[in-house]
Order: sequence, then C-alpha cells, then structure tokens
Amino acid sequence: MQEIKDMVCPFCGCLCDDVTLEIDGDRIVSTDNCCTIGNAKFLGKHRLKNPIKKVNGKWVDITYDEAVDTAVDILLDADRPLLFGWSGTHGEAQCVGVHMNEILGGVIDSTTSVCHGPSILAIQEVGHPGCTLGQVKNRADLIIYWGCNPIEAHPRHMSRYTTYADGYFLDNAFRNRKVIVVDVRETETANVADEFIRIKPGGDYAVLSSLRAIIRGKGDMIPDSVAGVSRTQLMQVAEMCRTCSFGALFFGVGLTMAKGKYKNIRNAIELVDDLNRHTKFTLTPMRGHWNVYGANEVFSWMTGYPFAVDFCRGVAFYNPGETSAVDVLARKECDACMVIASDPGAHFPRACVEQMRDIPLIVIDPFQSLTTPLADLQIPAAVTGIDAEGTAYRMDGIPIKVKKAMDSDYPSDTEILTRIYDRMLEVKGL
Amino acid sequence: MKFILNTGRTIRQGKYIESKLGKGYAEETSRCQIHPLDLLELGVEEGENVLVKSEAGEVVLVAVADEGLPKGMVFVSYGIHCNSIISASTHGTGMPDYKIHEVEIVPTSEDRKTPVELLEQLGGLRYAGN
Repeated sequence: MQEIKDMVCPFCGCLCDDVTLEIDGDRIVSTDNCCTIGNAKFLGKHRLKNPIKKVNGKWVDITYDEAVDTAVDILLDADRPLLFGWSGTHGEAQCVGVHMNEILGGVIDSTTSVCHGPSILAIQEVGHPGCTLGQVKNRADLIIYWGCNPIEAHPRHMSRYTTYADGYFLDNAFRNRKVIVVDVRETETANVADEFIRIKPGGDYAVLSSLRAIIRGKGDMIPDSVAGVSRTQLMQVAEMCRTCSFGALFFGVGLTMAKGKYKNIRNAIELVDDLNRHTKFTLTPMRGHWNVYGANEVFSWMTGYPFAVDFCRGVAFYNPGETSAVDVLARKECDACMVIASDPGAHFPRACVEQMRDIPLIVIDPFQSLTTPLADLQIPAAVTGIDAEGTAYRMDGIPIKVKKAMDSDYPSDTEILTRIYDRMLEVKGL
Repeated sequence: MKFILNTGRTIRQGKYIESKLGKGYAEETSRCQIHPLDLLELGVEEGENVLVKSEAGEVVLVAVADEGLPKGMVFVSYGIHCNSIISASTHGTGMPDYKIHEVEIVPTSEDRKTPVELLEQLGGLRYAGN
C-alpha cells in the first residue's frame, strides 16, 4: 500500500491540490481531503477497456491503430467538423486539438459555451476585476455567492477559500466574514448564509441595477420591491457591500443561463466597479469543469478567441450564437463531430443530441458516457490526475500541474490526439 | 399547470458523473423537485410520476417535494431527462435557457425511462461489452 500526498482533484474549477491517495497496486483504494464528488472520481470503476466501433448496428472491439485510422477517415471526410468538449482534459491536449482544427477548417468549442461563455462575453465588454482565490481567503471579509450553489457544485470552495477558511489578514475569520447568497431558490448554501436574497426568476438584472443605484447615492429612486426583493433588504445589502474592507463576488450559471445572460454579468461587473469607488471588491466566475478555464486560455493564446472558434475561412473567426456548439448542431450544420472529455449527450438540448446521432461521431473518453450510444467510435484515454498528467487552470486563472498517481497502458488524451493529428498530416501530405 | 423549469448541479448527480449508466444517476436526474403546495394543486403525491412538457418535447419524471423552491418553479438536476425538454434556441449567445424554461406539468401513469432508454428511443445503441 502506497500513500501519495498533494495530488490535484480533476473534477471542478477549485482544483483542490491537497488530496491524499492510498494506492494498492494499480488501484486507488481510498482518498483523503476529497469532497464526495472528487472521491467518486478518484475511485471511478468500469473504464472502457479498448476502443470500440459501431459496425452494421453493432459495437465491435478494435485496436488503437484501427481507432486512429477510423477517426482520421471520419474527420478528413467531413466538410464542417465540430470538435467539442476539452474542459475535462489537460492543456497540452487542448493545444493539439487547436492545431487539428486548423487543418480541418472546422469549429472548435469547449463546454464554456454552455457554462460561463456569457461571462466571457461580458468580460470582453467591460473587463474582469478579479483576483486569486488566495487573496479572497486571506483578505475578504464579505463574500457574495450569486446564482451558484457551491455546497453542491464546488463542495470545498467554502472550506478552502471563503466561509470556513482561516484568513491571514482577518481576525476570527469564521465569525467575522459575512456571507450573502443571492438565488431564486433556497439552496443548501442559502441555509448557511448571513443574508439570503431570494430573487424572482429572471430578476437578477433589475436587482443588480438597484444595488448599483443605491451605491451611487440614488437609493431614493428604488421602489418598495424589486424582483421580489424588498427595498429595505437592498439598502441593507448595499451598505454591507459598501462598508466591507474587501468583498468578493462569486457568481454561477444562475446568472449566465437565465434571462439576460451576458448582460447580467456585465451588470455584476459594473456593480463591482461601482463598489471599488468605496472599497476593494472583486468578481470571480465559479467555473465548473476542472480545466474549462484552461481551454479558454489555450484557445485564446493560439487563435485569439476563448471558445467557439471557427476555422472555415482559413483564419480564426468567433461569433458565439453562430459558431458555438449548440447552435452549430441545432442548425444541423456540422457533418461530423469529435467529442472529447465532456458529455453533450447528457447536457445538450434534444435537437443537438439528434444531430449528433445523425452524423459520424467520435468520442474520446475513459468511460461510457451518455454520448457513447450515439457514437460511431469511442477511444478510451487515461484519466488526468490518475494515470495521465498535464496542466490545468483553476477558476481564478492559476495554472496548476496535475500529477499522475500511477502508470497504465491507456494512452493520454494528448497521445491519442497527437496520433490522430500526425496521421492526418501524413494523409494530407503536409 | 404551467411552471418555470430550473436545472442545475446536485452533489448526487456529480457523484455519479462517471457512472451515468447506473441506477443512482438515473434516479437522481429524473427527479422533479417541486413546492409541496404546487404538488397539492396538481393532485400529485410525492413519489408519483409527472409528465413535463415544453415546446421542445416531453419527459416523465418523479415528483419530489422541496420547500426551498418558490411556487411555480420546478428544479431538475442536470442530465438527459431535463435536456429532453430544453429548447436549443440560444438567442444569439450560444447558451440555451437551462435556468428559465416554460413547461407544463400534468399527472401521469406512465413510467420513467432511464437515460439509456431515452437514448435508445432516439436510436442510440448501448455498448454492453466489458
């Protein structure tokens, strides 16, 4: 039995880097410091043993060589392929994906477009007043969770960085750090807040505007109730924000997926801007997949755009709403698709799932997912953080090396993609 | 009755994310959380099935009471069940209305389907090997 300390959890954007794994032979038998979700990820069973291919309506087992050739045939045969996913793999694999897409002239998009894509659109309009999670942990005396439920989605966020964490520059952080939760429903997180603001669905923009008006000294303009929130509570919350020493606003997809989408985030950023005229205030999106931020970084360095990048013109082009995965699929525009490290079969609207069913579909994933039944080919890869390693970006943009705990016979995502890419260049004579 | 559908992560759904073909995931993602007074108005007991319909499709879920929800809103955890009734329209942003989608809910005697059964209904094929 071997114990390995300081491993990185490859589940959510917290990228907790204090995980201890106990290993027996080629198997992780227990974890320490993980949340329920991270624990399940490390102890995951039932990996696909070999590549599989659908032939005449039946799945058959094939070799990695055959799988690479089939993937190359599918991709090179397509006029407008979509390469989707990327958020659950390391940056080195994402790099190969971008190179591959340039050769194919296709669309490459990460799960960003269905999580914090609208946040990025807002950041492109008005900037990002952010900071590292370490700054929040050690300095913030006011935390706002808006449209997110960290207890269920980022289970260790509160204990590592906010509510239950010690702060170097704070006295008695647990008692003195205040937490405000804003949501349309009373979640587990709302139950531990000092102040819970319940908003009517779709009312976030109006509430953000009201808080901005109060901060700018126009509180007398506010009606008795805004989207279900009383004027008294709005005044009280605005005062908490204005008088804190360091405030940190974390927001989730409750803002990006609701009415108003990126305009909600723009208003939240501008509220933070207004508050910075009185005190120190920052804003951080609660990124979901462990390396979705990395996908944005890699795509931005290599193409100039953070997600939904279209190479059909020979140069990178970006127009979310047109070149984003859901739209490309719903318009039945792509004629082949490669899904890596994500599961759009479970998370995309049915119209998109039907299009994935109707076109050649390649899946690169260690496990059978709900995209598998729709696929024509699945290639199992090693799991980053267990038997593969690489670079990931935490939700605050900090790059972290995700180490591997053991070796295995599975190739990593980078190895699989490199083999496909090299073969593609060979076939095209490049 | 008309409702607003809100979808999101739950810790149990997260736990089963790499065993989506199993019972735990199927159970978690086919729960329709609803305010107890709305259940009363629908004439549905907790644990009974409901048919949830939208312009994009329909799906059978099991009703679960949740006092934390406002009246008129239902919550379903991320998964293929809720996405069977979410429209693919993104209003030019790339993002569907995962958090705010109009649906109609009626009592039903139909059975819930598992995620794999829903995919098989669409023409998908499960890999039964290893």
